[in-house]
Amino acid sequence: MGTAFPFSEALLLGLASGPACVASCGPVVVPSLLAEQAGLRLNTRYLGAFLATRFLGYLLFAGVAWELGALVTFRPAARSFVFASIHVLLAGVLLRYAYSVGRTCAHSCAGPQLVTIGTVKNRRISGAAVMGFLTGVSLCPPFVVAGVRAAEMASMAAALLFFAVFFLGTSAWFVPFAGLGWVKRNEAVTTVARMAMVLIAVYYGYVGLTMLTGSKGYGY
Amino acid sequence: MRMLTAKLGYTGAGLTVFAAVLAPFLLYGLFTKGFSSLGLHIDEMYTGGPTVRTVQAAGYAIVIHRPVSPHMLQREKSFVQLDWKPVSALPLHVSDLVDIDGDGKPDVHVSFDVPKDPKARLHVDVESLNPRYEAMRNVSKEKFSALIVRVNDVVLVRVPVAH
Amino acid sequence: MATKAQVLKAREPRSASRSLLLTLPIALWSLLMFSGWFKQPNRSQQIAGIITVVFMVILFFMMMRTWSTYRWRRWFFVALGVLFPVGFIHQVLVMRGTMGIPIEEMIAGRTPFCFIPIPLLILPAALYKTVVFPGSILPGGGMSGGGMAAMAGIWLAITIVVGKGWCSYACFFGGIEEGMASVPAKATLRKIDPRWRYGPWAVLLAMTLLSLALFEPAYCMWLCPFKAVSEYVAARNTVGMVQNGIFIVLFAGLVIALPLLTKKRTQCAFFCPFGAFQSIFNKTSVFEVKIDRARCTPCVLCQKSCPTLSLTEESIAKGETLMSCMRCGACVDACPKGAVVWHIRGTEVAVKPERARLMFLYAAWAMAIMFGGSIIADGLATILHVFV
Repeated sequence: MGTAFPFSEALLLGLASGPACVASCGPVVVPSLLAEQAGLRLNTRYLGAFLATRFLGYLLFAGVAWELGALVTFRPAARSFVFASIHVLLAGVLLRYAYSVGRTCAHSCAGPQLVTIGTVKNRRISGAAVMGFLTGVSLCPPFVVAGVRAAEMASMAAALLFFAVFFLGTSAWFVPFAGLGWVKRNEAVTTVARMAMVLIAVYYGYVGLTMLTGSKGYGY
Repeated sequence: MRMLTAKLGYTGAGLTVFAAVLAPFLLYGLFTKGFSSLGLHIDEMYTGGPTVRTVQAAGYAIVIHRPVSPHMLQREKSFVQLDWKPVSALPLHVSDLVDIDGDGKPDVHVSFDVPKDPKARLHVDVESLNPRYEAMRNVSKEKFSALIVRVNDVVLVRVPVAH
Repeated sequence: MATKAQVLKAREPRSASRSLLLTLPIALWSLLMFSGWFKQPNRSQQIAGIITVVFMVILFFMMMRTWSTYRWRRWFFVALGVLFPVGFIHQVLVMRGTMGIPIEEMIAGRTPFCFIPIPLLILPAALYKTVVFPGSILPGGGMSGGGMAAMAGIWLAITIVVGKGWCSYACFFGGIEEGMASVPAKATLRKIDPRWRYGPWAVLLAMTLLSLALFEPAYCMWLCPFKAVSEYVAARNTVGMVQNGIFIVLFAGLVIALPLLTKKRTQCAFFCPFGAFQSIFNKTSVFEVKIDRARCTPCVLCQKSCPTLSLTEESIAKGETLMSCMRCGACVDACPKGAVVWHIRGTEVAVKPERARLMFLYAAWAMAIMFGGSIIADGLATILHVFV
């Protein structure tokens, strides 16, 4: 007789890790949400895109790591490499996003749209989706904690399900961000959001590059 | 209505001037006490965490702190802080086996010289006897999670905890 | 920035006797606040206390006599900005021997706390009851001074009284750039994109989020220009040198060069996250600056004189300043029609504005004497100690 799937454990772990997820994703989510147009519906769409691709990132990474048998034995050096690379990519995406905000259709289009990034007209993707995916594979500490527990599951399907339930628990903490849709958007809010994205991108780029080059993070 | 808002405004202004007078005698002290009673603590990455045990040696004590884990994206490792606190004085050379987790078995062997000049840089060697703790060779003050420093008369050593 | 001719009102000075009478409460307050200084055994401290009292009382007297605020307040503020580093750096060198903060000082909780990281520490403190600053909550010896609770206490007390007037009456850094901005007769760079005004809010948002994510005072670690005149990272590697390099470049650019070129307080107007945070308290403050639209022409001299771009054509049309107004008084003094006035919320605009100005100045100057005055005296005592 197999042991029951630890649904409540995964959910509770997710709920407990939620604040850490929100704090670590906050620098990406908050300014980019503020840079989008106002409206509860649009901001909910943003969160939906962000969380959906974050979920995809979680499952993809968990599946690959399970196949490689690496969920528990993921070495610190390899983990740092992934974390650093993702942060360099996030820096690039944030900068591109900040640039793209100014090109979003705001007046005569059929309806409010999410900010998209990309150069080819028909192949542009919403910035929220890209950032969601990158944060999903960034190996943040809550992800690592869940990975250790998921590695004890009997099968890959069970491990993925554990991650999925864990993800649900963490995502509950993102729901209140939809409330940013009620914040009136004007030049001030959009400009502040774009400037903040640039500052955060510079910092993320620095963090990633110093980790990749093995330099010390601090000067004291 | 205008009279009422004007009266309220002047009352507010008067109270503000009164608050300015009260500031150094009452408000400042009140707010300071208020902030200090919020139950806040300085991040353990700086303070080294609370003390869990003290081990007596000849002429000094070794104070063992609870291991500190980094927070979320802090780029430090977990560490445990050990303090060499002189009762009379620290010897010129310290070489101690330390049981960190209190299981009766030594976990690390720590050795360092104690220069007479209190401003001289310190270096520490830590031999790991328990795989939970990382070894250190000639480490000075590399980062918050791996260092040896002197604070007043006490020598602090931070040993990284392996993942 | 308004020229002298524009600043001087075409108005008879207030009578000397009446000005003295209005100054009397401030004189008594100063004597009370500095009574301890007069009793010091150290002669340099006694003299410094006397000079500071005389200085602050004379400035207030001139504010009363000339009906103007800005240029007299500026003397105080520049003195504060220049003398704070003198006293602070001297103290650091005596206690530590170096302006660099070594890691052991951080571990010992002896890093002095300044008010700028206050908004960055709120979220980690609220969510995790943790203060992400290497200081001491209570006095911890060394350079920790009165402790973080004391600085937070004084911040709250002064903010309740003057709101964002902190940036004109209490900030011990802003006087440096205000001094720089007043040096040239005319601005070299006159066209400034008004969107730069949003900079402080962007820095506040970014640093708040990063401080919570990274659990460190991100602004202090990377972006504070005033590290160049107080204390900085004791750099032991390339990264440390980069950190210090950033501080020096920001100081040279935002605090020295740009104010000289633009005659604006560029660090305050375009960068300081604490200033953005203090702007919130302008909404709770009872004192404000308003524009009487009946008298306004509009000549926009007030807009040109504002050191922080806190007046726009839209705000002038509405009869108000922006949230970023520092209550410095430059616009009030610059207005040739008396349309820009000090105001108490709830009262009618431009009805007895001098009463509003007096009430504000009594409150603000009392705070200035209590806080800034002691810093000025400390800096003076440091200099006098060489000679006395």
